[in-house]
Amino acid sequence: MRRAPAVVAASAAGFAGVLALHSGSRPSILSGSGPPATPVTSSPTATAPITGSVTPLTGAATTALGNSEQYGYGVLAVRVTVRGGHITNVSVANLQTAEQYSQLLAQQVIPVLRNEVLSAQSAHINAISGATYTSEAYAYSVQSALDRLGAK
Amino acid sequence: MGTVVSFHLEPGGCPARDARAAVAASCARLHELDALFSTWNPESPMSRFRAGHLRLADAPPEISVVLELCEEANVLSQGWFDPWAMPGGFDPTGLVKGWATAQALAVLQTAGVESVVVNGGGDIAVLGHPCGSGAWRIGIRHPWRSEALACVLEVDRPVATSGCYERGPHLINPRDGTLLSRTASATVVGSSLALCDALATALVVAGDDGPELARSLRGYEAYLIGVDGEEDATGGIVFASEGVA
Repeated sequence: MRRAPAVVAASAAGFAGVLALHSGSRPSILSGSGPPATPVTSSPTATAPITGSVTPLTGAATTALGNSEQYGYGVLAVRVTVRGGHITNVSVANLQTAEQYSQLLAQQVIPVLRNEVLSAQSAHINAISGATYTSEAYAYSVQSALDRLGAK
Repeated sequence: MGTVVSFHLEPGGCPARDARAAVAASCARLHELDALFSTWNPESPMSRFRAGHLRLADAPPEISVVLELCEEANVLSQGWFDPWAMPGGFDPTGLVKGWATAQALAVLQTAGVESVVVNGGGDIAVLGHPCGSGAWRIGIRHPWRSEALACVLEVDRPVATSGCYERGPHLINPRDGTLLSRTASATVVGSSLALCDALATALVVAGDDGPELARSLRGYEAYLIGVDGEEDATGGIVFASEGVA
């Protein structure tokens, strides 16, 4: 039963990390210079600290990599470390952003659509329909890592 | 459901105070449904049902309703919408968002609201008409330009759109860099938003078979954008002509 609140804390911290990605055109969470030519990124560059009480922990730390999950702007996978029945660290182990995807698309030239409207602001519309983003990817990846660790 | 729901109410129908109360009730219903159907929360009825820990007979009635809709969508889509084939077990998420959005609208309708758009993370439920008459103008997200719209549709029925434009490089064949999916965006207009949601997903997944599938859907209209930008629409899709800047 201890698992649920621990995961919630991890998710909350994770959501903040994911949301931060959205704020700029280039995710600050990615380090390195120049856009990669291929959509492959794999470096543990970000750490989302777990909030909440930290009690003295015993036992060895074990770490597992979660599944790669779509998060709306790309794909992410997290690495979770558990020690003494607590999550002690969650880091983004793999992050592929939509910008890289966009770059790939840009290389192929974005087609012009017949009825496209260049600015949604000027179109006098009542609502926008489109595929959406979800932050649950982070939670799912954490969950799969915990499953791998056999956390309870 | 990890998404944002927005409400656009037109004046009239009921006093503003009642409308505010109706929106609050609608939000409360959405939270209830989220708690019921969350596949993330292992204690939710849907999670327990998926895991085989909750029998359908003992589950809240909403679960049966959604299951039946999933079966209907599976048949309509000729198997392209298949929540039973998801990697983690039965997962109706591709239909529940649309269904829940329609439920939120129903709460408003019962409360006396006459004219409203509810946007559940891109799934659009509509009631009445804007300014008392005419069609709702719904922008369809551009698959590749975040500030642009692919088009504006005029509708008087629900609309759902699915796409793979933001879903990342997993759709690209790592061996040769080619795009694996042929359909970048699929929009479905029809009477049931739950089925629109599921069918839009099905049309994206169906890829090359999408256009034929779209034309087999009686009572539903579809607008497809291929990864090459090629557009395809069934006869009942109405593109807004004026007001395009």
